[in-house]
Amino acid sequence: MIYLAPFTYPFIIGAAFMFLIVVWKYAMWFIDLPKEDVQKIKKGIFSKATLYSVWEIFRESLLHVRIFKRSLPLGYMHCSLALGWFMLIVVGWIETIVYLGNSFVPLYGHVFFRFFAAPVLTEHFWILDFLMDFFLLIVLSGVFLAWIKRFSSRLVGIRRTTKHVLTDRLAMSFLWFVFPLRLLSETVTASIYGGGGFLTGSLGELFAAFLPSQLLSSLLMPFWWCYSISLGGFFCFMPFSRYMHIFTEIPLILLRNWTLRPTLDEKSYDKFEIQACSRCGICIDECQLQKVLGIENVQSVYFLRDKRYHMLRLATAQNCLMCGRCQQVCPVGINLNTLRLSTRAIMRNIPSEQRYNYFNGIDRSCGEGRVGYFAGCMTHLTPKIKISMEKIFKAAGEDVWYADSEGSVCCGRPLMLSGETDAARKMIKFNEELFRKHKITTLVTSCPICFRVFTEQYNLEGITVLHHTQYIASILRSGRIALSPEECSYVYHDPCELGRGCGVYDEPREVISRAANLMECSQNREHALCCGGSLSNFVIDDFQQQKIASSVVEHLLLSGAERIATACPLCRKTLSRATERRVMDIAEIVSERLT
Amino acid sequence: MIMQTDVVVVGGGVAGIKAACELCQAGSKCVLVERDSVLGGKLRGWHKLFPSFTSSSDVIEELLNELKQSNVECLLGSEVVYISSTLCRLASGTEIQCRAVILATGYNLFDARIKEEYGYGIYDNVITSVDLERMFHTGTISTLSGAAPEKVAILHCVGSRDEKVCQRHCSKVCCITAVKQAIEIKKMLPNSEVFNFYMDMRMFGPGYEELYLTAQKQYNVHFIRGRISEAAQLPKGRLQIKAEDTLTARPLIMSVDMLVLMVGMKAPKQNALFALATGLELQPSGFISSKDLFLEAVLTSVPGIFVAGTVTAPKTIGESISEATMASRAALKFIEG
Amino acid sequence: MAVKNFGFSISRPRTIDMDKNNLRKSNEILRELPELQACIGCGSCTASCSAGLLTQFNFRKMHTLVRRGEYEGVYKELSKCMLCGKCRMVCPRNINTRKVVLLIKRTLGDF
Repeated sequence: MIYLAPFTYPFIIGAAFMFLIVVWKYAMWFIDLPKEDVQKIKKGIFSKATLYSVWEIFRESLLHVRIFKRSLPLGYMHCSLALGWFMLIVVGWIETIVYLGNSFVPLYGHVFFRFFAAPVLTEHFWILDFLMDFFLLIVLSGVFLAWIKRFSSRLVGIRRTTKHVLTDRLAMSFLWFVFPLRLLSETVTASIYGGGGFLTGSLGELFAAFLPSQLLSSLLMPFWWCYSISLGGFFCFMPFSRYMHIFTEIPLILLRNWTLRPTLDEKSYDKFEIQACSRCGICIDECQLQKVLGIENVQSVYFLRDKRYHMLRLATAQNCLMCGRCQQVCPVGINLNTLRLSTRAIMRNIPSEQRYNYFNGIDRSCGEGRVGYFAGCMTHLTPKIKISMEKIFKAAGEDVWYADSEGSVCCGRPLMLSGETDAARKMIKFNEELFRKHKITTLVTSCPICFRVFTEQYNLEGITVLHHTQYIASILRSGRIALSPEECSYVYHDPCELGRGCGVYDEPREVISRAANLMECSQNREHALCCGGSLSNFVIDDFQQQKIASSVVEHLLLSGAERIATACPLCRKTLSRATERRVMDIAEIVSERLT
Repeated sequence: MIMQTDVVVVGGGVAGIKAACELCQAGSKCVLVERDSVLGGKLRGWHKLFPSFTSSSDVIEELLNELKQSNVECLLGSEVVYISSTLCRLASGTEIQCRAVILATGYNLFDARIKEEYGYGIYDNVITSVDLERMFHTGTISTLSGAAPEKVAILHCVGSRDEKVCQRHCSKVCCITAVKQAIEIKKMLPNSEVFNFYMDMRMFGPGYEELYLTAQKQYNVHFIRGRISEAAQLPKGRLQIKAEDTLTARPLIMSVDMLVLMVGMKAPKQNALFALATGLELQPSGFISSKDLFLEAVLTSVPGIFVAGTVTAPKTIGESISEATMASRAALKFIEG
Repeated sequence: MAVKNFGFSISRPRTIDMDKNNLRKSNEILRELPELQACIGCGSCTASCSAGLLTQFNFRKMHTLVRRGEYEGVYKELSKCMLCGKCRMVCPRNINTRKVVLLIKRTLGDF
């Protein structure tokens, strides 16, 4: 068989260009990986992690299980395009082997097999024809859904669809034409030469019956040209568009299973995460800034997009609650919060060396105790929580040193959230030394913001760090305090930093159910809403915060509970502003029910 | 039960009483509806009035006497559940058909517990201006332990000019009340020290600036420009307060025996219900809008509904009473067509 | 502005010369954050300030100076801020104080 036809050139050029660019990109990213990451790759490459990755790649890159779980039509759309196209390639490959044996077939020979084979083939394997048409139909249905999604995203199961940049639009337009054109080309070919499956074959017969054969043969080449051009066009734009995710998700899954992670300092691995984003837009629906305030263009999908194309504005980077809800639903599993933080770090003001030199010699701390209690800055504005904790410590007979009652250095996380990680380290160092100096064995804090940075960034070896809900749960279990339950129902609001941030979901619930009736709202635990008061957002104003808080309160009260319980001074303050119902910290509930 | 009258006056505070008196004296029929079991409204909680130290009970008595002579029909303990310009329905089921309504429903006191950082309801010796008036009534100012406070801090603007508690407006009377109360404390406890924490001193009325001067010169009341940010309990029921002394631009801490919070005026939630039922316009603060601030201050956007007193904005007792007279005249003019 | 040691030296000129001071940067800041003009100078921010308890840092004074066109040394002073956010929680005018700190530092730069 001769595989020479000028119409294949656009495809050949496009495909070659795409492969060159993609390989070059990956090569650069791999070369730039820091040493530790390279070590991790070496360690992981011949381990079970690799095998597991193959399974994950099949599950997520082809089947898109996570998107299916989110929405059936959306999952089907992604799956039909990815799996369908993949199967077309696989079955196409088998087809050539079946028909031609082991003889060499160039790439474009595989792709345009029907064109080259139709005139010469005498017998057809119906099962291959059937499979090829079947998968083509699947892909076409996916394209159809993609069209619908552009017109009405709700029909496909999401409220909002992503707004795209020019390269995306161009690549998408080519992509949309690829499969309808393939259908037409193959149909016309079948109408002239016969063959084809239930789709192209029958359509071909229909064409042959109603259209003059003259017309059909004059249409043959233009259709194949168009098909080739649309393929080539798509490939040309693909590395610069969101479709880069098609390939990038594969190395990402491997690298992630080899335990590579983004850090607070930007590094080469981030590029894999950034370009693996398919801009599916699932994160937009999760974002309360969008849902409640109607703020567009700041969600993770846009953040990654703008970052990738070097058009990220500070206002976009800083307009995020960092609640982690998007990360929770991201089908690609991108570490969105870490990427945002490392980006803020690049955009920060470079602090001077002398910054926070005033920490030297300010430590006038006194007191002692086995347990250190760090109330946290916010807790000083909610004295009830502080007093409740004092009462609980007393009831438990605990030997407590109050770490921040007389002026204290902030835990550092609020500053970190602005991207000034380096300056925050000075605070961390100060507090680490303070805790060590007092020889505490347990550190209890009332603030999930402090709690998170203590567990993630502090080096507190030998010191057990507990959030006060964990501490209360432990002294309840060991019987050091007892409660007389009240006949009142509470719905628990999971603070972002404590829940999604640190994975503490059960202890708060355990404590509440020992003190009163615990009720749940539908969006709880990993899917809990953010109160809106987040210290991570530097853009929205207080009215917008309050609007978010009102929507959260409304949702919480749908549970039918009389009161709202939470475990964060900031959440408590923010939610209190939005309702006249009582919003209480768990420590307050417990201290009121002590026996 | 269905009653008929010319004008229904809702609210038996000073404005309501005065309006009812005026209406009856002019010969029209009127019903005064009051939620409480007694008349007098918020004024009953007050000991003496600024700037003249007139006893508030004298004012109430005078008004009640006038009321008695005017033969006003008073419905006490009656909560209004529905109102329009021609009908007033009470919680008891009684319906009063009328030709005009005067709203004199007043204000609510800001709940100081919402400003948790000041510790009202948490710490022993944090009280409100209303609690202090109650102490004046009993004749002794004392901390919870029974001792006379030696150092007292008075904080202005609690629940006023504070977006954090959705109270943007100025409650108008707290500044002068704080000056008056500072003087009264000094009169009763000459050895005590009183510190007023203010943001702006709004001495807008006759004799107010003079009273301010008296407090400064004659009574040596200290005025510190800065809002207290936090209070914390010290041993023996004392309190430590933190503020910025903005005039010296330095943080200030002070321990006191008593902290008095000058609670502001908050628009009652019922205003929104009235507005919903009648189409009355509300201000962003939740108080009812007058039709015109200058020429038709006692008229509203709904013909037949008139307003008197603090239902439209924080006001002094004197202003509320004069407005009541105006409102009753406007209502009379309206029903006479 | 010839005197470098801003802040607490006694030799700096005391007068804020509104005829000479250049408000360009100040206006730039206020354009992005108009709510800063709403400050009533109550001092709640400074009173609750974690850094203000440990140093002479005075947030209210710093942003007021900026609004008067007095920029010298402000960057250094604002660098003392730990960005803990207590001031925002107490501001009766709902000023986004953390943004104010970042914005002023970014606009003025270190001088």
